Amino acid sequence: MHAYHELVGADQVHGSLYGDPGVFAEEMRQIFTRGWVFVGHESEVAEPGQWVTRRIGREPMILVRDRSEALNVLANRCSHRGTALCWEHRGRDSSFQCTYHAWNFGLDGALRAVPYPAGFEKDHAELGLDRAGQVESYRGFVFANLDGSAGPLSGHLGVGGTDMIDRLCDLSPSDSITLGPNWLGHAVGSNWKMWPESDNDGYHLNWVHASMVSSAPDTYYQETVLGGETGNQSLAVDWGEGHVELDFRPSYRRELAWLGASRDKVPGYCAALEQARGVEAAGRLLWDGPPHGLIFPNLFLGELNIAIIEPVAPDRMVQWHTAVQLEGVDESFNRRLLRQSEAAMGPGAFIVPDDAVTAERMQLAMSGLGVHDAGVRRGWVDMSRGLGREERRADGRRAALISDETTNRGFWRQYRTVMAR
Amino acid sequence: MSGGPTQQVGEAERREIEAFVFHEARLADTSQYGEWEALVTEDMHYWVPAGPALGDPAAGLSYINDNRARLATRIRQLQTGKRHSQTPASPMCRAVTNVEARRAGDGSGGDGGDGGDGGGDEYVVTATQVVYELAVQSTARLQLWPGRVTYRLRRVDGMLRMAAKTVELVTASEPQPNLTFLL
Ligand code: FES
Ligand SMILES: [Fe+2]
Repeated sequence: MHAYHELVGADQVHGSLYGDPGVFAEEMRQIFTRGWVFVGHESEVAEPGQWVTRRIGREPMILVRDRSEALNVLANRCSHRGTALCWEHRGRDSSFQCTYHAWNFGLDGALRAVPYPAGFEKDHAELGLDRAGQVESYRGFVFANLDGSAGPLSGHLGVGGTDMIDRLCDLSPSDSITLGPNWLGHAVGSNWKMWPESDNDGYHLNWVHASMVSSAPDTYYQETVLGGETGNQSLAVDWGEGHVELDFRPSYRRELAWLGASRDKVPGYCAALEQARGVEAAGRLLWDGPPHGLIFPNLFLGELNIAIIEPVAPDRMVQWHTAVQLEGVDESFNRRLLRQSEAAMGPGAFIVPDDAVTAERMQLAMSGLGVHDAGVRRGWVDMSRGLGREERRADGRRAALISDETTNRGFWRQYRTVMAR
Repeated sequence: MSGGPTQQVGEAERREIEAFVFHEARLADTSQYGEWEALVTEDMHYWVPAGPALGDPAAGLSYINDNRARLATRIRQLQTGKRHSQTPASPMCRAVTNVEARRAGDGSGGDGGDGGDGGGDEYVVTATQVVYELAVQSTARLQLWPGRVTYRLRRVDGMLRMAAKTVELVTASEPQPNLTFLL
């Protein structure tokens, strides 16, 4: 194990952490195997037999609902000789049948049948699929902890994780969201940690996204993040546990700014929300909108997008995303969310590709660094902006100006804690 | 694809259509954004789906799903000179082959976007395209973009114009690197 407390400081991080293969391997264990990670949404596997493939760290997994409606997070790896059971992104089956020697597994991962059984002395019960040690949902968001040692999900989500998920789901008149019809993957030649950073960096927007701002001037970024260092009230927030947020609420100057709309554009939605929550609460929700933040380590709630940060290699990652869809609203409203998602997220959009190229440039610049450089003062990156003006708020949040690096420090503080444990 | 007798195109039309497609390819390869945009109609739909180009593009999430206004934004953004993911523009060359053309008007055009019956003035053209792109902005990797292209071309004031371009990438189901050049 590397000496992570020496590689991550309160206001700086060593560049080798973005590219060293040994660090990457230790992250897969310390963060993705020992901790809670987001795996999917219940609506993706609404019916028994529906499954989706995911990775936990680098381990291929299947999220599947079984006949008793329970959610299982199973290794996508036959327990006989290790063949993948699913090779598409999603599907629906009554069981999993291996294509090599035709072992058959139930949707709960139990071994049900093998051909020519007389040659086996082991009990079938010993030969079920490997599975995540813990699986828990919160308001439809499914999380798993591979080694089962991470304690209850509520401890991981803490105040910040539950608050952000609540604020998103509360926007749905039915109390829960569903996901868009498909996920899109954005392949980036960077370390995965550039994404928790850049997705929640309030300092870069005027520069990385200058081309978007000047060519699509009606975006709500105008009021939330532009206007100079102190020109708006948005906050960079560290909730603890590695959960961080760019809190745009204080900057919105009108209802539904986050939707680029007004009540008369989406009357059906507003009526449904008032019906569900009452006029006053609905009014507040329409002002506040959805959160923009990270649930450590791999779930990005990007307003009305959901993204999964998937590490691939020290210098490769995929950001998967889909749009949030609300239940109990008319189709045109959800279509609006799809179009908004296409504009913002993914390889062809107006915003995120410029974050991607920036992350790749960081990777390029830090690729030559090793952990041994830390001691000779080479290759440190600074993350000190606004450290001296962070405030601890009554609700426990650490907050500073939107352009301060409070969010990035919050991610790295948790990183150091879990990597050094 | 060759269609019934009423949908066949003559030799001269065919040459004209191919010349248009190759011209469009050259402008895209060389990132001549304004010249490329001059080729499109006011109802242009530029579509790169995340799978086969089936069904209504509005019902899914696509890599690119630009109506005319959004395409104008895309071009404007590229023309700012600050679109980092295309600064500098990727060196590219594309091979466009297997070009087949027929007259539209049977209601089964390659792209549902315009909904019009083009009659004698509209063509549905399919081609195979492979773009070789060097990501000089960052990784310097050579990226290959093989796919099937469907154009809807329309004659406007005597000139062919592009009313739809759909690119079904062979790799559509898998994660894509930055795709901010003109595919
Ligand atoms: S490897 Fe799966 S049945 Fe043999
Ligand atoms: Fe960004």
